[in-house]
Amino acid sequence: MTPPRRAPLSQALARHLGLALVATLLVIAVIVYAALYLVTQGRLPGGFELTASVNNTMPLALAALARAIVALTRGLDLSIGGIIDLSNALAALYLGTNAASMIVASALILLAGAGLGLINGALVAYGRLQPILVTLATLAIFQGLAIRVLPQPGGAVPESYTALLVNTGAPYALIYVLALMLLWTVLRRSQAGIALLAIGNDEAAAAANGIDPVATKLVAYTLSGLIAAGAGLFLAASATAGDATTGNGYTLTSIVAVVLGGVSLFGGRGSGIGAILGAFVTTMIVNILFFAHIDPLYQSFYEGAFLVIAVVLAEGIGRLVRRRRVQT
Amino acid sequence: MSVIRRRDLICTGLALAAAPTLLPRRARAARKFKIALSNSYIGNKWRIEMENLFKSALLMEPFASEIEGSWFNSGNDVSKQSQQFSNLIAERVDAIVLNAASPTGLNGIIKQATDRGILVVSFDNVVTAPSALKVNTDQFAFGRMGAEFVAKKIGGKGNVIMVTGVAGTHVDLDRNKGAESVWAEHPDIKVVSRYTGMWDSATAERNTAAALPSLPPIDGIWCQGGTDGVLKAFIAAGRKLPPTAGEAENGFRKFLSGYMGHQVDGISIGQPPFLSVISLELARRVLKGDYPKKDITIPFPYVTSETVKTGETVFPDLPDSFFADFTDAGPHATVKICVDAALDGKACAGRLAVDLPAA
Repeated sequence: MTPPRRAPLSQALARHLGLALVATLLVIAVIVYAALYLVTQGRLPGGFELTASVNNTMPLALAALARAIVALTRGLDLSIGGIIDLSNALAALYLGTNAASMIVASALILLAGAGLGLINGALVAYGRLQPILVTLATLAIFQGLAIRVLPQPGGAVPESYTALLVNTGAPYALIYVLALMLLWTVLRRSQAGIALLAIGNDEAAAAANGIDPVATKLVAYTLSGLIAAGAGLFLAASATAGDATTGNGYTLTSIVAVVLGGVSLFGGRGSGIGAILGAFVTTMIVNILFFAHIDPLYQSFYEGAFLVIAVVLAEGIGRLVRRRRVQT
Repeated sequence: MSVIRRRDLICTGLALAAAPTLLPRRARAARKFKIALSNSYIGNKWRIEMENLFKSALLMEPFASEIEGSWFNSGNDVSKQSQQFSNLIAERVDAIVLNAASPTGLNGIIKQATDRGILVVSFDNVVTAPSALKVNTDQFAFGRMGAEFVAKKIGGKGNVIMVTGVAGTHVDLDRNKGAESVWAEHPDIKVVSRYTGMWDSATAERNTAAALPSLPPIDGIWCQGGTDGVLKAFIAAGRKLPPTAGEAENGFRKFLSGYMGHQVDGISIGQPPFLSVISLELARRVLKGDYPKKDITIPFPYVTSETVKTGETVFPDLPDSFFADFTDAGPHATVKICVDAALDGKACAGRLAVDLPAA
């Protein structure tokens, strides 16, 4: 019955089902948000709202991408929040005021994040330890280091740095979002990207096919650390100062973003782009609940309920489509 | 087909009919100042009372007729509070009253708000952003007040314990420094033990019970929070209750007026939940233009065993964990408000007078 002309489309849809679902979810969320905004404010959201939403989501988008890369290998990186804390604290203290010092300090901070990620990866890959235990321990260590670096909130981030990363005048940060998505696409098509998904699907089978699980895990955790450090830089830029504890929350919120983004925590399925879109969905949920003027005491209840519904729906549709594909 | 179209038409019609009724109401309300409370964490009694007082103030004059208020909680999630903050900017509120999740984490968005002419008043966990007004108490003075009381009661001589707060916070640090500055003036006072109570009665009780067996007789207690827990541990260990300086837990104040067969000679000083109301009043008056844009430090509300008054500053029927300093007392009170306001956010009878320091 199905016209042959449509087969590639439905096939592509099925292959990128998680991505399609989160994109749909984001579109719906934006429409609901805009409608509520229109009803309560008598106008449509404009440049400021877009800029603020994108800027505020940047750290989470990066944290979600970091988490997704590890999740694809069937790993879990709880230390993301700790790396963000540390990067945030370092940025507030050492960025300096001139262009050269900002570039050097940013590069060193990113490098430090990658190094911490590599430690996670080495413990998981060589030590054959449970990722959840390793990264729970390193989370505490990184948080401790961050507090040592910046015992009390303070420091300063130069205005030019803020203007470059999270310009408050226009949603330039969207460029970074696109760059991240591009980066993901390149990674996904590379040898390393294929290896990530392969070992997440079935480590033994991947190894039998010549993929090195140890090297792949090292790459995944290192990338995760690097990107998490990037999240810390964005966080510091938007706060214009440092606080060694504000990154903690991202350990959990990034899990939410990743799951909304259709990335399986059991590995092997999902996309970094989905995780980034998932981050934007969580921001939109905050916006929707705000303009719906829901009693703040029930806000977290609705947030939780919404997440459960979204995840159950996504999982249900996913299962349905996959089953139909198997049948046909 | 036609049914659907007709339903569509009805929907559009309803929307059109609703729109004009919405818009004029908004326009009429615009004469009121829009003031929002942006709070972070809401998971303890102090924060709930703080928010309840804010809500009740909005129901009372002069606030009821001058202000259109709203309130939001974000938890200790800086990015969420920042997002809510930007939504408040989008709503074009006149002022935001803020209890921040981080002293620095919101500085970027605060600057965006104040650049747009929105007044930001931060209280309790105050922010470092220079453009925000700050309303707070002097925590160093808290430490001194309690320590001076204990020093006087024990005649400047004896063994004292210090039950501290959550390490790493400004409040804990400043309170301890305040107390230490008093001990330094009294060389005969010995701090025989110092441990944290985490500002939590259960923790303070547990840690006190653990410390007591190894301690000599105690002549005075200086406690930052969880004071009723400390006293309960003393009772359980069969110890005499010495002069005590503590926070404003209802349980501690019950001991001041006689509780569980004991009466304690003490002073109860509190970080008042009504800081939210003071901040609201500051915002209102600055917006009206009859108060300068300046930071405010308010004195701590406190009671002693002599001044504590049932139904006013201690409540036998309410739980020990209730913060009994939801209202100020005495002739120089900054805010006087009823207990229903703190419990349920209900309006009290009459006008709500807030006595800001002289401009």
